[in-house]
Amino acid sequence: MGKSVGIRWLELQLLVVPSAASLVGLLTIYLARSGRTEWSWSDLTLSLAFIAMAFATSIWLTVLRIRGDELLFPIVVMLSCLGLLMSQRLSPAIPEAGVWASLSQRQLVYLAIAFATFWVTVAVVRRFDALRRLRYTWAIAAVVLTVFTMVFGTDLGSGARLWIDLGPVTVQPGELVKVLLVLFLAGYLDDHRQLITSSYRLGPIALPPLPYLIPLTAMWGLSVLAVVLQNDLGNALLLFGIFLVMLYVVSERLLYVLAGLGAFAAAVVVALRLFPHVSQRVQIWLNPWTDPTGLGLQPVQADLAFAHGHILGSGLGFGYPQAIPVVASDYVFAAIGEELGSLGAIAVVGLYVALVMRGLFVAARIKNSYARLLSIGLVSVIGLQALIILAGNVRLFPLTGITLPFISAGGSSLVTNFLILGLLVRASELTRDRW
Amino acid sequence: MRPFLQATALLASVLLIAYGVARTPDRTDPRWFAVLAVVAGLWVVALWPALPRHRQAGRAIVHIGLVLVVGFGMVTVQVLRAQLLDRDRIFARAADPASGIVDVRQYVAERQRERGRILLRDGTIIARDEVDERGGRRRVYEGTAAYLAGYYSPGLYGAAGVERRFDDVLSGHAVLSWQTWLDGVLHRSRRGNDVVLTVDPRLQELGQSLFGDRAGGAVVLNADTGEVLALVTSPAFDPNRLSVPVAASSETVQQARDYLRALEEDGRGPLLLRPLQGLYVPGSVFKTVTAAAAFEFGVAQPDTVYRDDGALVIDSRVIIERNRPDPNRVSFTLREGYGYSLNVVFAQVGLEVGAQRLEDMAARLGFGEPIPFELPVAPSQLARSPTFLTSQVGLAETAFGQGELLVTPMQMALVAAAVLRDGDIPRPALVKEVRRPDGSVAKQHEAAVWRRAFSGQTARSLRDLMIWSVEHGYARDARIEGATVGGKTGTAEVGDRTPHAWFVGFAERDGKRLVVAVVVEHGGSGAQVALPIGRALLEHALQLP
Repeated sequence: MGKSVGIRWLELQLLVVPSAASLVGLLTIYLARSGRTEWSWSDLTLSLAFIAMAFATSIWLTVLRIRGDELLFPIVVMLSCLGLLMSQRLSPAIPEAGVWASLSQRQLVYLAIAFATFWVTVAVVRRFDALRRLRYTWAIAAVVLTVFTMVFGTDLGSGARLWIDLGPVTVQPGELVKVLLVLFLAGYLDDHRQLITSSYRLGPIALPPLPYLIPLTAMWGLSVLAVVLQNDLGNALLLFGIFLVMLYVVSERLLYVLAGLGAFAAAVVVALRLFPHVSQRVQIWLNPWTDPTGLGLQPVQADLAFAHGHILGSGLGFGYPQAIPVVASDYVFAAIGEELGSLGAIAVVGLYVALVMRGLFVAARIKNSYARLLSIGLVSVIGLQALIILAGNVRLFPLTGITLPFISAGGSSLVTNFLILGLLVRASELTRDRW
Repeated sequence: MRPFLQATALLASVLLIAYGVARTPDRTDPRWFAVLAVVAGLWVVALWPALPRHRQAGRAIVHIGLVLVVGFGMVTVQVLRAQLLDRDRIFARAADPASGIVDVRQYVAERQRERGRILLRDGTIIARDEVDERGGRRRVYEGTAAYLAGYYSPGLYGAAGVERRFDDVLSGHAVLSWQTWLDGVLHRSRRGNDVVLTVDPRLQELGQSLFGDRAGGAVVLNADTGEVLALVTSPAFDPNRLSVPVAASSETVQQARDYLRALEEDGRGPLLLRPLQGLYVPGSVFKTVTAAAAFEFGVAQPDTVYRDDGALVIDSRVIIERNRPDPNRVSFTLREGYGYSLNVVFAQVGLEVGAQRLEDMAARLGFGEPIPFELPVAPSQLARSPTFLTSQVGLAETAFGQGELLVTPMQMALVAAAVLRDGDIPRPALVKEVRRPDGSVAKQHEAAVWRRAFSGQTARSLRDLMIWSVEHGYARDARIEGATVGGKTGTAEVGDRTPHAWFVGFAERDGKRLVVAVVVEHGGSGAQVALPIGRALLEHALQLP
């Protein structure tokens, strides 16, 4: 095709799969709920709007002559499709007091905003040098947002001020802070690449260099604060994990990572001793069956949902995931496990693996060291986030308030994750080969 | 070398996971996490990529990918464990009423899925589901044998009896074949399986009518197969009044509560299945066990002669003999002592046998342990305190059936069955078969021997004793035309109150061998009260096809 308009054929073909899945899924839910066999296209408005947005996005990429990766976007669309279906599935079970639309309608609106964010990101971010130059701006923005939220934020029942009330919607700046952090760290670590890989000797002990120690200590402190103030082990692990991943890429020293992990683990152990509310979470995780109707209600009901799902699941709309409290944001994976079975649950895990692997593959081939570091950081935001919340759902790790990327109901996380996707797609253009 | 190492690591991880699932009860057991940690290590080995030298620069990215993939792999293992391997454990935990867990899905499935029926051996339905006009389900019980089903009360009390013991079968959760497994996988709802009891409805009804208002219990067994042909308890309860469906009206719930309270306050224990759960002083029917010990250990023969002059003094305690047929006779054989139920004779036999051997024989017959049966059977006891039998008085009293003895009718029926079976105790059974909704048989009762109690020689001697007792002794009224009948009556002293009336016996005709055990609480004389019930049951049971 040369330099003429490159239509993203692979992407367009792959988008057929989530489109079909969304139509069939929505129809199943509709029919299961109504108990009838007739339907009309108007019942599928939600899916049709979603499909239109997905294809329009692909065309937008073509219009912008972006030749980057064509796999990331379809995988993300498949995951968002599942998210939309689950929100439609779970919407009647959620109390709708004073909310402006049903859960699935809201999810569709959030998706529209997220897609728009993606459009804007791929259109605006053309050169990564600009992003790099603004690295301290990102750091300041992150700090300001965090402090602002802590001071003016509202508590939506999680026991910490994580939200900002904007009238009709509440946003969670914490989601964006993660991206800002990656933007800053990529710039900072890339600047000090040479120093970090070196080390200096103080007597007989080889010490890591100062540019390593300063951010490490800062990140460590931040993560410990997250554990204590937000009572959220998962979020802390996520923040610290992203940092360790980026540090490892720059330094390639396993010892640094292990030392960081050790420091983190030590802090967590101390926090468990000192703060009963933190250790209580761990207790619920380890022994939910000792209090199955109180604190252990969520994990016990999630276990039951998984167990009832069996291999093939009850089918969309035929299970009772509503039995799990706060299922739409905390336990979507358990709902998927119940209604789509082990096969569906493993397929979702597989999608995340595919997304992460593809992202890392793309990153590995980027020549620009800053863009590569940034991409790895962004991929690990999604990957670690998915891993931590999935592990929480299956009791591999204490449950945390992190959202499941692209699937959980919630606008802030959707918009942020599509922003990450936009950056990744743009970065994929910087690879050695043309795609 | 590399592929071999990788394959070994993968295989080892699979085996390790299987071991972990088998050995740990839950997915957050520390030992399970230890297993997962080792598995993760094995996977790192198995997935470790062989990077060409010139690609060393991208090593860090590969390692990050590896860690994430192994992490997602752990999530997959946890999912599969919850959904495939731990399912039944999770359900079992939730099903425990004490846990307080509400499993909505079970609840809804309960309303949608038709529970299997409970039938008697000829097809009479005693428990079935009924759908009311609003689509709700209700359990309905019919016939005098209805209480054998127990009750099914998902809205209030859970389940009891056969309904509880076979809940997984009746509800359809039990995996009886690959077909039911497939139904479970596909979430296909099928009617539950039917449970067919071995009980004959007419025999059961006859037993119930013979008891009338009197309290007591009776069990009729087929000695060859162990099948329970009748299991009568009186007074009984109406399971219909205890079965409360899900989402029942508060009025229904209140009525069931009131009924249960009335049953509990009744004092006669209508909720108890007496042949299994009732523990009674056996009186003279226990002499069969004493005789068994005497024969088995060669202490005496049926013809061994004992002196009985109307009283026996042991350690300054006087045992008065009331049963001698002729006050002028002072010597009796053991056979006569059994047939005339002479306590003085059996006190002497017991003393000769000794505590050790009597305990040994009782243990061999199943005393002191739960009898294997579909419903719980209370263990019978030889003595309450371990030292009781060391005293001569205690041993003598036990030998003729008093002392601290407490037995269930089922236990005594099994003693009689061992006599017929040359010393083998059959494993008693209440369930004849389990049928799938399409009528095909999923499980069938197979006759089995529970254990061996005594030698064939001992069995023949005991059989001789029991037949003599019917033909010449006090159990004379038990004779049945054309059948060989053996038996032993018992009149068990219970303090100052009217004694319990007992009859334990057997009947043989045309290769059919049946045993019966009857107890009428505070009924009086065994020969006059319990024997007619036992005889009628045996006679009727012999006529069954």
